[in-house]
Amino acid sequence: MDSEDGVHDTNDLESVDDDFYSGGTGSGTEEGEGDYDFVENDSDESDDAVSHRHQNYLILSEADIRQHQEEDINRISQVLSIPKVDACILLRHYKWSVSKVHDAWFADEESVRKAVGLLEKPIEMPKARELTCGICFEDYSHNKMSSAACGHPFCDTCWRGYIGTSISDGPGCLMLRCPDPTCGAAVGQDMINALVSGEDKVKYSRYLLRSYIEDNRKTKWCPAPGCEFAVDFVMGSGNYDVSCKCSYSFCWNCTEEAHRPVDCGTVAKWILKNSAESENMNWILANSKPCPKCKRPIEKNQGCMHITCTPPCKFEFCWLCLGPWSDHGERTGGFYACNRYEAAKQEGVYDETERRREMAKNSLERYTHYYERWATNQSSRQKALSDLQNMQAVQLEKLSDKQSQPESQLKFITEAWLQIVECRRVLKWTYAYGFYLPENEYAKRTFFEYLQGEAESGLERLHQCAEKELQVFIDNEGPSKEFNDFRTKLAGLTSVTRNYFENLVQALETGLRDVGSCNQLPPSNKASSSSSLHVTNTSGGKARVRTVYRPGGPSHSSDDSSHWSCDRCTYVNVNSINVCQMCSYRR
Amino acid sequence: MANSNLPRRIIKETQRLLSEPAPGISASPSEENMRYFNVMILGPTQSPYEGGVFKLELFLPEEYPMAAPKLGRICLDILKDKWSPALQIRTVLLSIQALLSAPNPDDPLSDNIAKHWKSNEAEAVETAKEWTRLYASGA
Ligand SMILES: [Zn+2]
Ligand SMILES: [Zn+2]
Ligand SMILES: [Zn+2]
Ligand SMILES: [Zn+2]
Ligand SMILES: [Zn+2]
Ligand SMILES: [Zn+2]
Ligand SMILES: [Zn+2]
Repeated sequence: MDSEDGVHDTNDLESVDDDFYSGGTGSGTEEGEGDYDFVENDSDESDDAVSHRHQNYLILSEADIRQHQEEDINRISQVLSIPKVDACILLRHYKWSVSKVHDAWFADEESVRKAVGLLEKPIEMPKARELTCGICFEDYSHNKMSSAACGHPFCDTCWRGYIGTSISDGPGCLMLRCPDPTCGAAVGQDMINALVSGEDKVKYSRYLLRSYIEDNRKTKWCPAPGCEFAVDFVMGSGNYDVSCKCSYSFCWNCTEEAHRPVDCGTVAKWILKNSAESENMNWILANSKPCPKCKRPIEKNQGCMHITCTPPCKFEFCWLCLGPWSDHGERTGGFYACNRYEAAKQEGVYDETERRREMAKNSLERYTHYYERWATNQSSRQKALSDLQNMQAVQLEKLSDKQSQPESQLKFITEAWLQIVECRRVLKWTYAYGFYLPENEYAKRTFFEYLQGEAESGLERLHQCAEKELQVFIDNEGPSKEFNDFRTKLAGLTSVTRNYFENLVQALETGLRDVGSCNQLPPSNKASSSSSLHVTNTSGGKARVRTVYRPGGPSHSSDDSSHWSCDRCTYVNVNSINVCQMCSYRR
Repeated sequence: MANSNLPRRIIKETQRLLSEPAPGISASPSEENMRYFNVMILGPTQSPYEGGVFKLELFLPEEYPMAAPKLGRICLDILKDKWSPALQIRTVLLSIQALLSAPNPDDPLSDNIAKHWKSNEAEAVETAKEWTRLYASGA
């Protein structure tokens, strides 16, 4: 069979899927939801799954925020029978928690009033016709003076100055009290609005809005630059991924960009590590490397890792490991392995790669390996994002013209690119995951690297198809009858890749539980153990690609009668034991 | 020039400071700039500073009284976030006098003195008395 044929490749991936996730893809799809918001238009998703996705957060526009705030204030005002201004002051004091206001108020109204500066009975200003302002020391007639509920009179000019100074000092103006240092009566929004300039009123109301989001434990602003949406999050609802209406995805918990499958702690460690190593890593980010064959500098200007050197050399190689691309496909019976740090090290690939070795000694070398792959996926993601935008702005129209297809029939291309962007993000973080996966958990590491390798190669296939194969149809003069085949292939790759990545995310999030937690290989066997490929034929006739871990010794195949291959993790166990040594699966 | 359009409030405060000075405190405006005050505070009786005279310079910024008076490196909450325009020069100086009778090592004028004070109060009191005798008496 020709491994260049995408539809066939698709089947490979699918079967891998079925093998490694005993729960199948159904349950996995629901759990992974938040991360894959763009699948929303998929007709085959159940309504149940769609509503589940939106239950754990709400994106709020400014109008929504004001409305929510208003509703909370009205509720407190009604239940406590106090003016709305006072309700607003109370809510702000209790970080906009309606329930905390209730609890505190009904437990001890008097001390709450004291702490917040709300007088039970307002005191009138002195009755005299003329009053002296406590700030400017001038005398004014009664109607030129104002006071908070405490009755301490100040002239309107001084009030304006007092409030204006506080507003320009920052959000502290929301806690403004009467200027009299012995008093402490609260100055609410009604006084602000009655006394200050329009500009200051707007600023004050802005601070009030910001406070509703920033002081509230269950809301945050979207961290994307320039974005004005906020997120209302329901705690305890599983994953933290939030996708803002501005299209930025971030983690609600740590507000870094979305980072499933790794946890917030790992992200923080990784970011810290990167900044500590940034000087050493700068050279890695350079976009050019010498061609491994002709040594001319080659620039990586496309998103996928498959690089073809310029003529006459035309050497096809992998950007990550600089190995020949021909070693990367199913054609050779090898699987995608350039994600494997150990393999690269053992085969001595690192010895050849220029000054890399001397620059990256010991631990730095290990870090370099993961960092480079993390950073490369990051820039591939950026590239894919801008390709997607270009696709939507220019290319789709062109393609629709050339292939005489309505643009509505080309949605599968946008979906493919959205999937690529998302997969690059996931893949990027799997390298941080790999970096922190303990080296002595050998079985886990091997399994992880296998899954990651399959992810890399699956995505590579999708990326290549959406990038290079599509270009042919854009460049074509007229409609091509192969376009429908292309549609089937790209849509198929997209869906298979989506499933694979959803399962990958889930498997990594559960800490690869399926593999068993400890290293089952005796240390003496570790060095000689190898992972190799094992191909079997299923009844469906699909070729399956699997890794089989052998505890040393010559290769066995699974039909060797002295061993059995675990159906769950493929580990080859000896026949005398009926429980898998890797994952505890019962034969 | 700076004196020509002095706010009424500053003029009134100055008049009162001169006509009814607080006990142990004198504050007189400079002739060139009425926003600039030479201040002398007597060390409070029964404090380590007793017998000393403390000289300070106080300046009223343009925004006064919306902003607090400037008083060098003195640590007083009412000169920072607790300032209110309803406070006055007099209240500020009285607070400084109170500070001299019970220095607050958690809000120190000088880090060194504060450390000293916290670690060995008796010795610090001696040092303060010594300084008072050397630098602040008979002025
Ligand atoms: Zn006034
Ligand atoms: Zn008052
Ligand atoms: Zn946003
Ligand atoms: Zn996070
Ligand atoms: Zn070349
Ligand atoms: Zn490679
Ligand atoms: Zn197993």
